[in-house]
Amino acid sequence: MTTLLTVQDLSRDFGGVRAVNHVDFEVKQGEILALIGPNGAGKSTVLNMVSGVIPPSEGEIRFANQLMTRVPGYEYAKLGITRTFQNLQTFDDMTVLENVMVGMHTKTHSSLFSCGMSLTTARREERTMQERAHTWLEKVGLSSLASSHAGSLPYGKLRLMEIARAMVAEPKLLLLDEPAAGLNHTETAEMSRMFQEIRENGTAILLVEHDMDMIMTIADRIVVLDQGSKIAEGTPREIQENPCVIAAYLGTEEQVESRG
Amino acid sequence: MKQLTKKWGKSLGIYLALMIIFPFVMPDEYYRSVGIIIGLQAIVAIGLCLVMGLAGQISLGQASFWGIGAYTSAVLTTKFGLTPLVGLVASAIVPAVFAFILGRAIAGLQGYYLAMATLAFGYIVQIGIQEWEPVTGGASGMISIPQVPFFGGSELSMYYLIWGIVTCVLLFSLNLMHSRIGRAFRAIHKSEVAATSMGIDVRKFKLNAFVVSGMFAGISGGLYAHYMGILDPQPFGMHESIKFLTMVVIGGMTSIWGALIGTLVIGFISEGLVMLSEVVPGLQGDVDTIVFGGILVLIVMFMPEGLVPRIRSLYEKAQAKKAAANAEQRVERKAAI
Repeated sequence: MTTLLTVQDLSRDFGGVRAVNHVDFEVKQGEILALIGPNGAGKSTVLNMVSGVIPPSEGEIRFANQLMTRVPGYEYAKLGITRTFQNLQTFDDMTVLENVMVGMHTKTHSSLFSCGMSLTTARREERTMQERAHTWLEKVGLSSLASSHAGSLPYGKLRLMEIARAMVAEPKLLLLDEPAAGLNHTETAEMSRMFQEIRENGTAILLVEHDMDMIMTIADRIVVLDQGSKIAEGTPREIQENPCVIAAYLGTEEQVESRG
Repeated sequence: MKQLTKKWGKSLGIYLALMIIFPFVMPDEYYRSVGIIIGLQAIVAIGLCLVMGLAGQISLGQASFWGIGAYTSAVLTTKFGLTPLVGLVASAIVPAVFAFILGRAIAGLQGYYLAMATLAFGYIVQIGIQEWEPVTGGASGMISIPQVPFFGGSELSMYYLIWGIVTCVLLFSLNLMHSRIGRAFRAIHKSEVAATSMGIDVRKFKLNAFVVSGMFAGISGGLYAHYMGILDPQPFGMHESIKFLTMVVIGGMTSIWGALIGTLVIGFISEGLVMLSEVVPGLQGDVDTIVFGGILVLIVMFMPEGLVPRIRSLYEKAQAKKAAANAEQRVERKAAI
């Protein structure tokens, strides 16, 4: 398997606080890599750097052999990285269908003029967008809500909508920031199945998640962060048995003593 | 065109009917001229709606683009003897160029800072027009600006010319709103981070919205100059900018139709105040500014989404209620059987 994303020596400071400290990992083509760790471990910060939302303080991110640190944020989708957000970033005043259609921005090219004049090319593109958006809404099970306003949807449905919106861009790498947060068991199981399907269709996934059931079922490999640094990496089984990871999550007697 | 009628069938039909019959319902020349001015303002308001309501960029200097458009065409036709048609094309391009430069300069600004920068631009333009006397005629203005040669240039033909252009601007903007470009504007308004991650170049799109709105204001300004035949710097200041802003806010910032409705409402109120001032002697001067300011405050307090979205949501609620009542009746009937 070839490497899709390489993160090397990645660090990020916020003021004087080091949120991410010299982290390395790789995402290979067609795999699901989970990024886990206790609260405040720097997972979301890593995801924000990989998606171009914030620049790293140090280190390199390479995607498909291209150095991403100099690439402006809006180019990421075109190059093949799209994402969902932990605290949903939906366009509430648009319909669900329109939200998903925004995801196809980089796949369409009609100019302001041809859109305003509603030229044939723009109309044709609009129809294609609608069809593709509908396809994805069907896949995530939101077809019946296509014309509802996104603002009127419950949390769980909006998460699904964000996934559809990220997937219509046909990314090579999908970044998911806590997709299962606030979902119940059945919803999480359904979502896990969907991610496996996405992987089978060739899109790699980098996943930040707290739901261990989900991670253990779908992740090919896991990277564990604690206080900004990588403390472990391996298959789900290896991680479950790793003493460092257990210590980070549950604490150890020594730590309790030294703090006390 | 088929698509258009399908999408906005009813509203568009009502709009066209009202627009066409108005000069015959109100055959008075005075009301036709009021209709013309309202049409000119509607063009500016629709442009402002694109930049403010869709892309979420406040502009307190819209009247300056209007003024630049007006003076561009006026100067080209009176001082250089060009035909009004050439003047009008220039009155679309020159303000767009100004909007581009201003937009580039203030690309990183948001909220209050953006409002202040556009406000300052508005002042600079008005002062510039006043002080550049050899070209613009300064505070005393310009006279004998040629008319647009459109079916003899009567009040009625001007009315249809201008409302024809309003219709074009309206359709263009409605098309735009429901296209990938309009959705990109609206996405930026809600979340710049999300828009960026979808591949939308936020700066470029904000600039585009700004340029288009400047261009619309400029076209309207050029037509205004040729329609009035005289120009002075007074209408192109802050007062008028706030008026445009009020129109967009009253109608509902997120709706193109809202900008049009808002313009009409403000037009009616202005006319009402003029009539009232003939009866009540104390109502002279800048009373309209006070009234518009008051309306703006009330709208922001009690109906921040504006008229059109409010009416639309009330209508949708009523429809849903009706559907629910029908369903209930059906259930009852079934139970009775």
